[in-house]
Amino acid sequence: MQDLLSLIFEPYVFVPLIFPGITVAFLLLLVIIWLERKMAAKVQLRYGPLYVLKPLGGAIQMVADLLRYLFQEPIIPKTVDKLAFILTPALLFGMAYLPTVAIPVSPTFYAFRSDLSLLIVLALSTLAPIFTVVMGWASNNKFSLIGGVREGYIVVSYEIPMFLSALSMAVLYGSLDLVDIAEAQKGLWGIFLNPVAAITMLVLMYMSTSKFPFEIPEAESEIVAGAYTEYSGILYGLVMGASYVKLYVLSLVFSILFLGGWNPVPGFMANDPLLPGVLLFIKAFIIIVIGAFLRAVYPRFRIDQAMDLGWKTLLPLSIISIFISLAEVMIMGGA
Amino acid sequence: MAVERTIRHIKALATGAKYMLGGHRLTLMYPDDVQEFPDGYRGMIEYDWNTCIKCGLCAMVCPADAMKMYVSKEESEEGKRPVRRPGINYTRCIFCGFCVDICPTNSLKFTKVHDVAFYTFEEQIFPPEKFREGVPKPQYDKKPRRVRAILDERRGIRYEPVE
Ligand code: SF4
Ligand code: SF4
Repeated sequence: MQDLLSLIFEPYVFVPLIFPGITVAFLLLLVIIWLERKMAAKVQLRYGPLYVLKPLGGAIQMVADLLRYLFQEPIIPKTVDKLAFILTPALLFGMAYLPTVAIPVSPTFYAFRSDLSLLIVLALSTLAPIFTVVMGWASNNKFSLIGGVREGYIVVSYEIPMFLSALSMAVLYGSLDLVDIAEAQKGLWGIFLNPVAAITMLVLMYMSTSKFPFEIPEAESEIVAGAYTEYSGILYGLVMGASYVKLYVLSLVFSILFLGGWNPVPGFMANDPLLPGVLLFIKAFIIIVIGAFLRAVYPRFRIDQAMDLGWKTLLPLSIISIFISLAEVMIMGGA
Repeated sequence: MAVERTIRHIKALATGAKYMLGGHRLTLMYPDDVQEFPDGYRGMIEYDWNTCIKCGLCAMVCPADAMKMYVSKEESEEGKRPVRRPGINYTRCIFCGFCVDICPTNSLKFTKVHDVAFYTFEEQIFPPEKFREGVPKPQYDKKPRRVRAILDERRGIRYEPVE
C-alpha cells in the first residue's frame, strides 16, 4: 500500500495520471462544460442546467450527462468503416491529452525533462485533428465529410501562426524547455514582453479547439455535428471531450509561455509541487473559462472569414511577434 | 479599420460580461411559480354543451384542424339521426381563437389555464363528452406561487407575486 502510494506520487506516474494528466483533465471536463452552459445561460438571461442538484445550481449536470453517455447504446451504422469509426474517438481523445506528459508542474516536478519539451507538446497536439478528418471520412455521411474537410481547412490556417507565436517566446527566452521558459519569467511575465504573441496564440488556441466564434467544423446549425454526426453514446462523449482536453493542454502551455507558469511562487515552496501546480492550474483554468465565455458572445464565423483571419491577420501578427522577440533579445541581450 | 473592428470586439465582450455579472433572469420558474394571466388571455377552451347549436362553424374555421365535429353517440341514438358536436385536440390547437370568435352562441370560451401538459397522446384529445366537463385543473406537487409578468423598461420582464 505504502509502495503504491509512493509510486503514484512519482512524477512519471503522477504527471500523466493525475495532474496535469487524465484525472484532472477529466474532472475539468465535468466542470467546464457545466460552467460553459451556465455562463451562456446567464448572458442570455436564463438559468441553464439547474435541476440536477439544485442547491448548487445543477453543478453535477455533467455527471448525469456522462452516465447517460455511458449507458446509451453506441450506434454503429452499417455503412461506416468500422475499424476507423470505433478507434478514432479513443485515439482523438488520447492524442488530445497525450501532450500533458511533457508539461512540467514545478521547477523540479515533471515526468521527463527535455530540451525540446515545448516542441514535443506542440507536435503532439497537432496529431489530434488528423483523427477528426479520418472520422469525417470513416462515417460515410456527407455532414461528417464536410465537417472533416472544414477541420482540415481550419488546421492549415491556425497551425502555422500558432507555432510561430509559441516559438517567438522560445526565441525570447532562448530555450525550448518549458521549465527554463517558466523559470525565466520570475520577474516579468511573457505576456508583457510580447503581447502580440500572447494575443495571437490565445485567439489561435480557441480556433484550434473549435471554440466560438470558430466552432466551424461542428457548426450545429449547418452540418448537424460535423465529423461527429454519426457518433452516439460514449463514443460521442469521447469526441466531444477531446476538444476541451486539447484546450486544457494548450491553456497550460499558454500559462507557461505567457503567464509565468508557476510564478510567482515563494522560494521555499518551489520544491514542493503542490503550490506551483495549483497556480499553474488556476491560470490555465482562467484561460479555459474565457474560451467558454466566448460562446455566449459570438456567433459563428463563416469558414472563409476564419481562414481570412488566420492567414491575413494572425500569420503576419505572429511573424511580427518573432521580430519583437528578436528585437528584445538584441536590446536586452536575452531576457 | 482594424482598430475599429477590435473596438467592436471589445464592446461585444464587455456587453457579454455585463450581462453575465448582472443577476437578472427572465425565466419563469414553472411549476414553482405560475403565471397569473391578464383578461382576454387565450388559454384552454371551455365548451357549453347546452347553448351550442351544433352549427359546425368552429370546426370549419379552425386553421389547425384541432376542432372537429364528432358524432355524439347518445344523442344520435335518441334522435335516430346523427348529431354532431365539436371536440378539440390539444396536440394541434394553436390557440388562435378563431373558433371562439366565430361561435354564434358564444358556447366556446377561453379560460386562463394554459397547462397543456399530459402523460399520453390520447389524453390530449377532448371529444365532446370530455370537452363539456371543462378544462382539467392543473395539478402541482406543492402550492405554486402566483406571479404576474410586468414589463420593465430597464430589465425586460419581471415577475411580481400576486396575493
Ligand atoms: S383556438 Fe384556433 S386552433 Fe384552437 S381549436 Fe380554436 S380555431 Fe382551432
Ligand atoms: S361550439 Fe359554437 S361554433 Fe361550434 S358547433 Fe357549437 S355553436 Fe357552432
